[in-house]
Order: sequence, then C-alpha cells, then structure tokens
Amino acid sequence: MPSHPLNRLLRRNISAGQIAGYALANLVGLTIVLTAIQFYRDITSVATAEDSFISSDYLIISKKVSGLGNLMGADPSATSFTVSDREEIASQPWASAVGEFTPAGFNVAARADLGGIPLSTALFLESIPNEFFDVSPRGWSFTPGSGKPLPIVVSKDYLTLYNFGFATSRGMPQISEELIGTIPLRLSLSGGGRQEWVDARIVGFSSRLNTIAVPEEFMTWANSEFADSSVNGNTDPSRLIIRLRRAGDPEAMKFLDIHDYEVAGDKDAGGKTAYFLSVVTTIVVSVGIIISLLAFFILLLSIYLLLQKNRDKIYDLMLLGYTPSRVARYYQTLVAAVNAAVLLISLTVMLTASARWKDSLESLGADGASPWPTIAVGVLIIVLVTAGNLAAISRNIRKGFRK
Amino acid sequence: MIGTITLCRTLPSVFSGSENEPPVSSSEVWLKERVEFSRPESYIIEAESGTGKSSLCSFIYGARTDFEGDILFDGRSVRDFSVEHWCRLRCHALAYLPQEMRLFPELTVMENIEVKNRLTGFNTRARIKDMLRRLELGDRVNDRAGILSIGQQQRVAIVRALCQPFDFLLVDEPVSHLDARNNAAVASLIAEEAASRDAAIIATSVGNKLSIGQYTLLRL
Repeated sequence: MPSHPLNRLLRRNISAGQIAGYALANLVGLTIVLTAIQFYRDITSVATAEDSFISSDYLIISKKVSGLGNLMGADPSATSFTVSDREEIASQPWASAVGEFTPAGFNVAARADLGGIPLSTALFLESIPNEFFDVSPRGWSFTPGSGKPLPIVVSKDYLTLYNFGFATSRGMPQISEELIGTIPLRLSLSGGGRQEWVDARIVGFSSRLNTIAVPEEFMTWANSEFADSSVNGNTDPSRLIIRLRRAGDPEAMKFLDIHDYEVAGDKDAGGKTAYFLSVVTTIVVSVGIIISLLAFFILLLSIYLLLQKNRDKIYDLMLLGYTPSRVARYYQTLVAAVNAAVLLISLTVMLTASARWKDSLESLGADGASPWPTIAVGVLIIVLVTAGNLAAISRNIRKGFRK
Repeated sequence: MIGTITLCRTLPSVFSGSENEPPVSSSEVWLKERVEFSRPESYIIEAESGTGKSSLCSFIYGARTDFEGDILFDGRSVRDFSVEHWCRLRCHALAYLPQEMRLFPELTVMENIEVKNRLTGFNTRARIKDMLRRLELGDRVNDRAGILSIGQQQRVAIVRALCQPFDFLLVDEPVSHLDARNNAAVASLIAEEAASRDAAIIATSVGNKLSIGQYTLLRL
C-alpha cells in the first residue's frame, strides 16, 4: 500500500538538517548528564567499600587534650562534650546525625587462651548507636544472663598494630581476622564493689571506628551494674561520631576548626576528594542539562518554523475535516522516534564508557554501581522532553486551526 | 445529521456600519431575520463579486467566524461548536468546494482525492475513477494537480468534495471555469450524489450558474 498522502504532505518542509542538529545536541547533552551520573555513582561505590579513599561521610571528633590539667586528672569534663556542645553540632546544616561514644564506667580485663598461652590485659570498652557502624556483624546484640558471648568490634588499626608492630618485633604469631574470631575471650567486669565474668568474642573489624565497641544494650546494663557514680560522675561523652549530609563539606571542616575539635584518623583528605568529586559532577551534569535544554529549544523553534511553513497545508487539511490531533500525530511520532533514538544511543554510550572505566575502578576497590538508576534518569529526562515537545506541537497545530 | 441551516441576522463583520447601503440593504440573505436552508432542497445564491458569497460559505463551513448575528444548525448556534465537532461535521454532514479549490499541487489527482477519501472511507478507488471519467479526467488520475488547468482542478475538487456523506453540499462557484458541456456533466453528478444522500445543495454563482433542475434563487 502506498504511503498515506497525508504523510507525504506533512513531510514537506521538514528540514533533515535541523532534526539532525537537534538530535545531535540532545544526544551530547543527555550523554554528558548520564555518563557523569554513572561515573559519580561508580566512583562513590568505592566509598561504600570498607577501605575506601573517599570514605568520608562520617567524622569522629574529640576535644584537644592539652596542658597538664588533664594529665593531673583534675577536670575530665574539659575534654567531654556538654549537652549544649552536642546540640550545637546536631543543629548544623551539614550534620545529618550525631552519635555519642558511651564509655564504660567500670574496669574491664580480658583473658584469652592463645594456643595454650594464657594472655590477659586490661581493656576499655565503648558503645555507639548501631546506625553508625560500617560493619554489621551477625548477632550484634546482648541479653544479660543469656549465656551467649558478648560480641565485640575492634578497630582494624589495632589488629594492624599488633600484627606488624608488636608480633613481628616480639616473635609472636600473626593473626588473621578469621582466626581472631574463633578465640574465646573472658572479660572481667568490676566496679562498685562487684565483679562478674562474661564470655566474649571478636566478631568484626571496623575501619571507621577507632575503638573497642560493644552493643549499646550491654553498655547500658553493665554501666548500671558496675559503674561507680562517685568515681565516674561525668557522663558526658568525650567523643562524637557525626554523619555528614555531604562528604567532606568544607562548612563542617570550618566549624571543627573554629571550635578546636579534632578529627580522628585521616578521613579529612578523603572527604575533600569526595567533596571535589561531587562539585565536579554537579558542574558537568549542569553543563549537560544546559546543552539538553538548548537542544529542546532548538527543536521547538524548528517545529514552529516547520508548522509555519506548512500552515496553509494544515489549514487545508482542516477544511477537509482532519482533526488537529490527527495532523499533530505525524510530527509527534517523528519527534518521539528521534527522542527514543537519542535515548538509546545515549544509554549505549554511557554503558560502554562505564564498562571501559570499570577495570580502573576495580583496582581502587569499587565494584561499580548498578546502571539502572542512571537509565531511569535518562528515561525520565527523555519522557519529560518528549512530553514538552508533543504539547508544543499539539498547541501550535490547534492554533493553526483557528485561522 | 443536519436538517436545517438557519441564518439569523447574519452579516460579515466587514459590512458592519454599512447596513443601510448596498449590497447589504438589497440583499436577500444578509441581516434577514431568518433565512432557512433545508434538506433536500437546492439553493443558488447569486451575487456580484465582493458581496461576501465565499464568506457565507466559510461561515457555514466553520472556517471563519468573523460575522455578526448567528448561524443555527437545527437550532444550535455554530458559535458553540468545538474544533473537533467541526471536524466531525466536515467528515459526515458538510461537504464543501472552496472557490479557490485548495488542491495540493504536489500530490497527484488521485492522491488529492485520497487525502479526503481515506478520512471518510466513503468511496472505492474504482468509484473515484468512474467519477473522474465522467468529468473527462480519466486520463489525468496520476498527474500532479499543480499542472492541471483551472477548469480541470475545479472538477478534481468537486470529485474530492463528493467523497463523503453529507447533508449539505456547499459549492462555491463550482462551474466558474467550465464550459457548458462540463457544467452539465458536473451538475448532473452533483445532483445525483445529493439525491442519493437526500442532501441539500447550496451553490453560489457570479453569473455562470450550476445547471441543476429545480432550485431556490437568493440574491446576496
């Protein structure tokens, strides 16, 4: 069957150059947006890995220990965060959550049997709310009197110190994370004139928390049982963990500087990298969106021009009884097809690029993020652009019908 | 379906202010209290050039709204019709031959007719060819409309206008470029087609009248 004569009429005056120009511009814009988003997602998937160079959205802060006052044990509250300190930090726009390190108000000693060699050491314990953990060990809970061993998470740094500092210089065996989990520990808790033994086990290592952490339930119970309030009257925490809304936010760094707070570890540099990355991504995505927007207006202008040129034909079709939507359908199908092609090519470019940089990222420890959210963004943008185009065509043709 | 078209004190806006001067004062159509066109009658509206006969056709066809007074289709004012309603009427109730034909010069004779016929699905290709043959255009089916003479274009446009069901057929100077023989051929085709639909014909003329049998003559 020959093509509908209507289509042959409407096809006239369509400028292939203009359509190609629009398609190219929109393709460039959309590809920049999608590729930048996927690059950011892939890179930041590094940050969710444990040993990341951009892990950064958490800060552990403490007050500076200075002078002899602290040494003499005169006033421990000088290095603890008062309620008003904590409220001030929590109210900062860059802080999305603030958690406290709760120290043990009692004495702890640990005893272990390492291949027949009995070891024992004095110890300290702290707890922080579960939401701030970067590891989620199984059985992270404690019920007094249940007989289940108390789970403990230890800073990865401590194991490194032992393995490469202590063990090598003393001729002691180096221990792996897996091995350490199998060693049964017994903790002696004492204070307030009472003493009790508790079974314990190291269940995980954290690179975020430089402490020896136990579940909050345990700390609440143990502090109520053993803490000697006359000795440990100060219940303010001396360390806080802060989750940032935006990694490496310079506002946060400025605030900590002004208040002379110390940030634990070397998270600061990673934070700056992350911040820099998010700024660069924002700029690149904005440029892509601007290009896409310009392309959108190029197409609108092109459509207006085309409809203007075909105005008489459209008017004649109206006289023959064609509805505006029937006439619009031809142009709408054309635009929708061009937009769909732009989306497909753009997604292909994004996925190809993502596959190419995947190897380099894997060496940084990133597994790469799922492309689906990026694809969803691309589909959403094209749907919005197409909806705008279709509405413009429809409106313009209806206008032509009221000559 | 439209049974009656009524003009109520209708006047082209361009004549507003000259109601008491010719051609309005002498008109049998403009500004009259009621002028009725009913199926299946035939009407010839005779007028001199510039008295607004093409405007009248455009008003009735819904292509223009620059008139005063009102036009009623079976008592319903056309001013309330939506674009979509007009499009439906143009496919099923109103057929129109514009004076300037409005063929698409880049399409062939058959394609020009198909643009209409595909919309209505009213005639077969064989029937279209048959009508073209009757109007002595049988050998021009695949020629581009732009290269035809004005008289030939007029006949193509007539065939195109007949490719739909209608209650009223508006033909604006359908035979202005035709000789007597072709006038007769066109008139008999139009009359047959109108009769088969029980439809009314409203034809305008500046002198060369469509030679149909019985009609009411109105001077515009």
